[in-house]
Amino acid sequence: MELFDSLILGFSAAVTPTNLLFCLIGALLGTLIGVLPGIGPTATLAILLPITFFLPPLAALIMLAGIFYGAQYGGSTTAILVNLPGEASSVVTALDGYQMAKQGRAGAALAIAALGSFFAGTVATIGLAIAGPTLAGFALSFGPAEYFSLTIFGLLCATVLASGSVIKAIAMIGIGLVLGWVGTDVNSGSERLTFGAVELFDGIEFVVIAVGLFGIAEIIINLETPELRGLIATKISRLWPTRDDFQKAWPAVLRGTALGTFLGILPGGGATLSAFSAYTLEKKVSRQPQQFGRGAIQGVAGPEAANNAGAQSSFIPLLTLGIPSNAVMAMLLGAMTIHGITPGPSVMQNQPDLFWGLIASMWIGNLMLLVINLPMIGLWVKLLTVPYRLLYPAILLFCCVGVYSVSNRAFDVALAVGFGFLGYLFRKAKCEPGPLLLGFVLGPLLETNLRRAMLISQGSPSVFIDRPISLALLIASAALFLLLLVPAIRKTREEAFVDEEA
Amino acid sequence: MANRSELGRKGNQPDLLAGLIFIVAGALGLWAGRDLTMGNAAMMGPGYLPLIVSALILLIGLGVTIMGLMRSSEPLGVVRLRPLLIILIAVAGFAYAAGSLGFIIAAAWLIGIGSLADPETRLREIAASIVVLTIFGILVFILGLGVQMQLGPF
Repeated sequence: MELFDSLILGFSAAVTPTNLLFCLIGALLGTLIGVLPGIGPTATLAILLPITFFLPPLAALIMLAGIFYGAQYGGSTTAILVNLPGEASSVVTALDGYQMAKQGRAGAALAIAALGSFFAGTVATIGLAIAGPTLAGFALSFGPAEYFSLTIFGLLCATVLASGSVIKAIAMIGIGLVLGWVGTDVNSGSERLTFGAVELFDGIEFVVIAVGLFGIAEIIINLETPELRGLIATKISRLWPTRDDFQKAWPAVLRGTALGTFLGILPGGGATLSAFSAYTLEKKVSRQPQQFGRGAIQGVAGPEAANNAGAQSSFIPLLTLGIPSNAVMAMLLGAMTIHGITPGPSVMQNQPDLFWGLIASMWIGNLMLLVINLPMIGLWVKLLTVPYRLLYPAILLFCCVGVYSVSNRAFDVALAVGFGFLGYLFRKAKCEPGPLLLGFVLGPLLETNLRRAMLISQGSPSVFIDRPISLALLIASAALFLLLLVPAIRKTREEAFVDEEA
Repeated sequence: MANRSELGRKGNQPDLLAGLIFIVAGALGLWAGRDLTMGNAAMMGPGYLPLIVSALILLIGLGVTIMGLMRSSEPLGVVRLRPLLIILIAVAGFAYAAGSLGFIIAAAWLIGIGSLADPETRLREIAASIVVLTIFGILVFILGLGVQMQLGPF
């Protein structure tokens, strides 16, 4: 039982008092900020990321994972209670969850969401523990050509599965790539794209971009839209769901878990796609589809289970291949890099306690959230009544001090002002900033692998076609791209996202 | 396409803005990398990929702009300068003060000016925020986490 031994190793690494404490702090902070409307998991992670730099690597990752789950849960709470989804993945939760809350069943909706998420998180964590080593073993045989093709495939998938215009997303990836190349070129040692600024010779700090594009820009947008504030539907009287609720919810949780675990693995997938697909699936299999949108518990249970499963299994490509599948994972990759860890198949071999410790802590984090969330619902509800004008200065302070603390330079804060403005423009131009972040973290990897592959083949691009795995990935990328040009499919995709936005 | 008369008159403003951003970004990349050596496919110089990708961004920018002119018109959405400018000025001021004037002044500026971005903020709230958050910041960031920043200008 190698898996069993590994899990024991993981739990022994994760269950130290300090690690548990950081897991708890992370989950609490994540929920705290995640509950605030308009601030999703990506922004929450960006804001809190710098705090974790002061910790040892494993504790930092555990805390970040805790923040991520916390933000996810927090978003669902807001969605159910005040009909203001904190992030895209809980948009569908708001549809039926808020209706349930209006009918006085907020407690049941929150409890089912928490229990369903916990179940899904457990299953997806087991999935990660089983699939991880296999996939990583497979990836160990990857050469530069395979990695290049894999990165291209991952980036392209991310544009197709994300909402919004594909062509804009590709340009955003391009901008991210170029930003990732700013600094000293590793091969020649010459500095490039720095405009002569000495501060940029080491490249742009990841945190600067993350906080600027997601933190500062998000605050400005929130302030621009008049008071994003709903009314809390009702007092929460009864927390525990009825027997009937359970009977209706558990098949939905099972379906959501399965769907989410699978979709989370896909590049560009993750929590949001999983939640939307699960809602559609529940509506299709239900015998009373007209109930949906009027407080059907399946409409809460399925998507909530799916988004948590998806959030969990999107760690698989990051931890085994080193390729983040969405903006949140890009954020975690950035954090790992700052701690000197290069995610990929070698982590599992060289630092097994880190890999398995993280997996164990994921499950512990989910358990903690269940414990924090159910009894503390009242507190989160109170937080929702605090006006945003009192909260955002605190968030702003976190952003600024966080950016400054990365290398103790005021220059980085000034740079973050620029990225904050850019992030604002992107939102006005309807460009998703997520792909930019993916491009930024993958830029150096992409260039290194392309250079190596071409050096070995002496400049002949045939190296990407001669190697079967690389060829398969490139064919898949090309097929994906061509599919988008087929009008019928493009229409379906647009309709799918319109449906999602409704 | 009932509103054909509107086509090309105002254009799709988010698309036009996106196109403009991409054109500027691509051009900036090409300009910043103008002196970098390209090298060849087998021995890529530092400029090889940055220049190719910058050119691609520029081309997409042109494409998106043309598409934006042809697509049905769509407004940009609300643009309010107050929060935008105030938040950016507040953060920029923090950056300046953090380098020379120390944490207390930087934080007080950031919170004080930043709070003005919301028109509903009252003076008493701002004062309270400044005091509470600055003390919190000193305790947590400077003393607790050990962020290397002077407290005052001396």
